[in-house]
Amino acid sequence: MPALDLETIKKEIIDSQLWRSVFRGGVWKDTPRDRAGHIIGNVWLHLHPVKVRPRALEWAYTWGMGGISFALYLLLTLTGVALMFYYRPTIGLAYRDIKDLEFAVTLGMFLRNAHRWAAQAMVVAVIAHMVRVFLTGAYKKPREFNWGIGVLLLTLTLFLSFTGYLLPWDQLAIWAVTVGTNMAGATPILGNEGPLGSLVGMRINNDVRFTLLGGTMVGENTLLRFYVMHCVAVPLVVGILLILHFWRIRKDSFSAAPYSAAEEKIDVWPHLVKREYIAAAGTVLFIMIWSILQNAPLEAIANPNVTTNPSKAPWYFVGLQELLVYFDPWIAGVAMPGLIIVGLIAIPYIDTNPKGVGYYAWKERPFANALFMLGIVMWFALIYIGYALRGPNYAWYWPWESWYLPKAAPPPTWSVFGPEGVGAYSMLIGIPLLGALSAAWMLLPKLIQRELDGRKAMGGFLAAVAALAVAGVALGRMGAAEGGFLLFFLGASFYFGFVLPQRHIRTLDWPRYLVTMVLVVSTMSVLLKMCARLAFNIKYVLTIPSINMNI
Amino acid sequence: MSEITPNPAPNQAPVPSPKPAAKPAEMSRGDFLWAGWGMLAAFFAASAAAGARFMFPNVIYEPSQKFNAGQASSYDLGVSTKWLNEQRVWIVRTPSGFYAMWARCTHLGCTPNWWGDQNRFKCPCHGSNYTLDGDVIAGPAPMPLWRAKVELAPTGDLIVDKAVLENKPGKREDAPYFASYAAA
Repeated sequence: MPALDLETIKKEIIDSQLWRSVFRGGVWKDTPRDRAGHIIGNVWLHLHPVKVRPRALEWAYTWGMGGISFALYLLLTLTGVALMFYYRPTIGLAYRDIKDLEFAVTLGMFLRNAHRWAAQAMVVAVIAHMVRVFLTGAYKKPREFNWGIGVLLLTLTLFLSFTGYLLPWDQLAIWAVTVGTNMAGATPILGNEGPLGSLVGMRINNDVRFTLLGGTMVGENTLLRFYVMHCVAVPLVVGILLILHFWRIRKDSFSAAPYSAAEEKIDVWPHLVKREYIAAAGTVLFIMIWSILQNAPLEAIANPNVTTNPSKAPWYFVGLQELLVYFDPWIAGVAMPGLIIVGLIAIPYIDTNPKGVGYYAWKERPFANALFMLGIVMWFALIYIGYALRGPNYAWYWPWESWYLPKAAPPPTWSVFGPEGVGAYSMLIGIPLLGALSAAWMLLPKLIQRELDGRKAMGGFLAAVAALAVAGVALGRMGAAEGGFLLFFLGASFYFGFVLPQRHIRTLDWPRYLVTMVLVVSTMSVLLKMCARLAFNIKYVLTIPSINMNI
Repeated sequence: MSEITPNPAPNQAPVPSPKPAAKPAEMSRGDFLWAGWGMLAAFFAASAAAGARFMFPNVIYEPSQKFNAGQASSYDLGVSTKWLNEQRVWIVRTPSGFYAMWARCTHLGCTPNWWGDQNRFKCPCHGSNYTLDGDVIAGPAPMPLWRAKVELAPTGDLIVDKAVLENKPGKREDAPYFASYAAA
């Protein structure tokens, strides 16, 4: 009896009419032509180029985060569709169905865990992908548009998470969505509680919040709307944008980094595709292990009348929640996120620095990298504060303090320019003064023609602030801690908001310079307002109650 | 003489038309296209507006905002959390009567908790603090808590209507946001 010859069997299968009808191409000889044909002749693979530059294969260069994000998106689609078989989006059934998924459905708990953890991993992966693309200057011409698509995809990733966590109808769900939709209700003009909203006739039953909720309160319609957005509408938009994103990567080629003499393009099959499969397999394995080890959180069933104490958003929105402590909802919840999205999209059009494309360039792009990373660090610092340092009643608890320790009531707040502040005539004194200050801040770095010595400027400024703090402490107006806050926040704002722009972007043309400075000063205003609230109990720097204008 | 036709044939002298006044003005190709594209744009704009309108429900099924809070005499002085879980309202009894505070933080709509030892309402979402009167003393809330309309029925029951709200000092202390009640 002849031994089983695997090679012969393989050949028989591959040469069969059935196999040949499914997979195009002739006999595989592993020639460059075969490898190219494998990409071109396969509908799933043909978004790839046939050959790529070697840098596309280096983990240290790409971090593989774009591909991993996509793998997670596919995994989320699969697990999400599975969950839909057991979940009914009504108030009476939603929570029960989630409980059934956890305790009565075979693999239900595992699939729900995988869906939740993959969603969180996708948020991390997409942010990491953006950081990588930024640091290697990969958004510069001709990739400006694709960077913008990417920013929209990041926004939609967060929106998918947001719409997703209403669905279990637990306490986290209902209060996160209550807060989120009330932020929409604070939108200027379009929301009933936003500035100018009531002037144009916005009421609780005809504004943008009303459409999101499908009613005046979080209820049956809201759950259904979020379900449809989460499962159908938003994934469709994401899918369309993903196709655009991939197509532009393909068209714009992988990297604009200058070619080196020794560089020779590498076949995508098998080198790149193999790595993509490995990354996807690793991602799936990671999510599976995580889902076995840890269950997705599920709080008590939603109670529309009583909020858990403290009530916190999922970690990736806790930074936004913390921001809402310092600013009015329309600023922290609408204007700032809007400015972040628009600002990110604008980056490729205001960054004229031709250097640093295709490699990490800390020295050649000091301003862009420093400001972008400052933004990322601030976002995660806010997340840390909100997640780890906030306890019952959303009071400040240090990590070593027990939440059972009752905290003294927070001291009363006051406003600098407002009815009870130092400048009661907020419109007469506050607006001109603050306007002049911010205008001076935006213009000065460019108007000072000579490049400042960074160290001297920083030293002088810190010395002045220190003198101010010492004087304040000596006069009994503040304690040492407040002095420290002042030194840290003012120092950081001065360095990132004045020294760096003065040294690096004062030669930019006026339109680009001004757009950049608006973004820079807005970022610094977050730091300054945090300092004002945390150290000096300042609620508003300027308040004009008659038009809901509080900053 | 004749009108100038939109597209005269080349190398041909203009021919006097037989009935110049009776002939309707012809639309040029350019104008026709403008009108066509304009109508298409109008169609898309109208569709978008209609789609947006579709998202505003005309009928909503929401619970009534009015409820019977029971016998006024059953309340002690101070804040009662009896109706918080069901109706999201604190019934506050003062020496001279009652007011009903809607337990919705004016910041972003969470339900604050009453802390009797500190005489404050504290919100668990962003840390807003309110006095017993509902005025903001700390945290980000932009305005005082809302008080709901409250009436003393002839039966001695308190009738609270959360659809009628007021939070301005000077107005909120008077009827219908305050129900006078003399201690028995």
